Amino acid sequence: MDFTVFAQQIANGLVNGMAYVLIATGLTLVFGVLRIVNFAHGEFYMLGAYITYFVGTLFGLDYIAAAAISAVVVAGLGVAANKLIFWPLRRDHEFTILLSSLGLALLIANGGELLFGADPKYVESPFADEVLEIGTVTLTQQRVLVFAAAVVALIAVYLFIRYSRFGKMMRATAQNPDGAALTGINIGLVHTYTFALACGLAALSGALVGPTVMIFPTIGNWAVLKGFIVVIMGGLGSVTGALFAGLLLGVIESLGGGYISLGFMEAIGYAMIIAVLLWRPNGLFSTARGLR
Amino acid sequence: MNTNSHGHSLGQPLAIAGGIAALAVLPFLAGNAYLEHLLVLWMLYALLALSLNIVIGYLGELTFGHAAFVGVGAYTSAILSTQLGLPPLLGLPLAGLVAAGFGLVIGYAALRVVGPQFAILTLGFGAILFTITNHWVDLTRGPMGITDIPPMAIGPLAFDSARPTYYLVLALVLATAYLCHALVGSRTGRAFLAVRENAPLAASLGINVFHTKLMGFVAATAIAGIGGAIYAHYIRVITPDIMGVHNVAALIIVVIIGGRGTILGPILGALVYIGLLESLRVAGPLRMVIFAALLTGTVVFLPGGLISLWQRWRNAHKSENNLPATPTGLPSTEGGAK
Repeated sequence: MDFTVFAQQIANGLVNGMAYVLIATGLTLVFGVLRIVNFAHGEFYMLGAYITYFVGTLFGLDYIAAAAISAVVVAGLGVAANKLIFWPLRRDHEFTILLSSLGLALLIANGGELLFGADPKYVESPFADEVLEIGTVTLTQQRVLVFAAAVVALIAVYLFIRYSRFGKMMRATAQNPDGAALTGINIGLVHTYTFALACGLAALSGALVGPTVMIFPTIGNWAVLKGFIVVIMGGLGSVTGALFAGLLLGVIESLGGGYISLGFMEAIGYAMIIAVLLWRPNGLFSTARGLR
Repeated sequence: MNTNSHGHSLGQPLAIAGGIAALAVLPFLAGNAYLEHLLVLWMLYALLALSLNIVIGYLGELTFGHAAFVGVGAYTSAILSTQLGLPPLLGLPLAGLVAAGFGLVIGYAALRVVGPQFAILTLGFGAILFTITNHWVDLTRGPMGITDIPPMAIGPLAFDSARPTYYLVLALVLATAYLCHALVGSRTGRAFLAVRENAPLAASLGINVFHTKLMGFVAATAIAGIGGAIYAHYIRVITPDIMGVHNVAALIIVVIIGGRGTILGPILGALVYIGLLESLRVAGPLRMVIFAALLTGTVVFLPGGLISLWQRWRNAHKSENNLPATPTGLPSTEGGAK
């Protein structure tokens, strides 16, 4: 086996995987803390990519600023979605919430098609055409940025959940919302910033991945599917699980695409989760309720 | 449906006979080919929605993979008739069998988990089937789709236009509706509902929860496969889009808007869906925005779907006439995945 090619595939897989991890972390946080399976999560990824594009082209801001603005704006939209749909439904059955989020996903995706047009767009980035060589592996700077920014964001999220007052409130809510409320934690506030964090992460992922692919209004479908697969494989509610499962999915897809068949790349990735789930039906890192 | 248990012993069969008669004369009232075509689409969606309703309404599990089984059935029959020259009449049961085979394997793997995990897992399986269909160009011709599919025929009777196809699908819808009705009244059907309402309790009564769910899931996928095959032979062209997320969402919208866990609900939902889809054709992408709003609105404000409006009215009417209203505390067949 040619080692250079192999190393290149692994590197590509890790970059793709990191983008999946960013999407999946938000999904798994929203599930772990709020018990909401958010079908509309991928649409926030789509909005992240589009807002980066529009801020860049309409206001002429540079890429980094556009990505940051997009993450903040989408975090705000996430808070609005929570206030309008998920918070009022918090006492309802999980299927009501799941179906409402499906409705929201269709609403944003088709609304996006109305507003943005169905034709593909390219997000401009100064890093997209610059190449970086690490040993025998060649990556565009943009792809290195995807990986690096994702690692920084994930470490920040980890520190936030682990050590900050707000993070502790999140973990308490995840373990027992009623108990948390009894100790004086403002559950409404926890809902709000968990959604802001999750949607901000999804938007960041969209903004980072945007310049490496074409974007169109239906990419949210793709994103939420990848996110779900990673979350299910890692175990619903497990952040550690999302990290491992996301990287694993990225690498396996990349190797499968390189050595077996590019067309069936995605099917190979899905087949892998099925294998994992037959072995561990609740995911790799599933344990009792709580945030890990 | 809560059948004739409250003094409707004569009214209900009459209403059903009247409804069937009305459905039978509909194509003659339609007057033009376009409306007849819409009637066929209505019946096709009603058939698919009735099959999805077995999983969502009776088993109480939400599946996001149903359109994939419709696609499996459509592709099975289309490939058999175009490449092997098999008569479509033989392709129909084979499409049901193959779809049921896929349903058995996928259900066996996916039904180990419940709730949101099951929903997401079926979404993943649906995506696998879509990807394979889209890329196995040698077998399925990939995104180009299969064209020139021969029409369904029984001996000299060819279902090559809307009106005969309408009667074929109507017959299947009625058969499926009757099967669902008989199922709910049977021991197996009561096991379905027991599993839906309280799985651990059902298990403690000696019901094998996993096998019960698997049986319902396989039956639903078989009917979906047959529906898909009829669709393929009627439209004469199929592409992998039939398995896409759009179609998944459409079927769920039909069942939820109509009323899950009922027999008339999915049929009514299909009428609303096809009617709105066509009347809003000018609106373009706005259509799906409207459907999305309808879905969310129904789930939040009318969990029983449109059909529950009629039940509400009937109950109110009964209490006016001092007749006993349908008791609410007893286990009913209505409801489903809440």
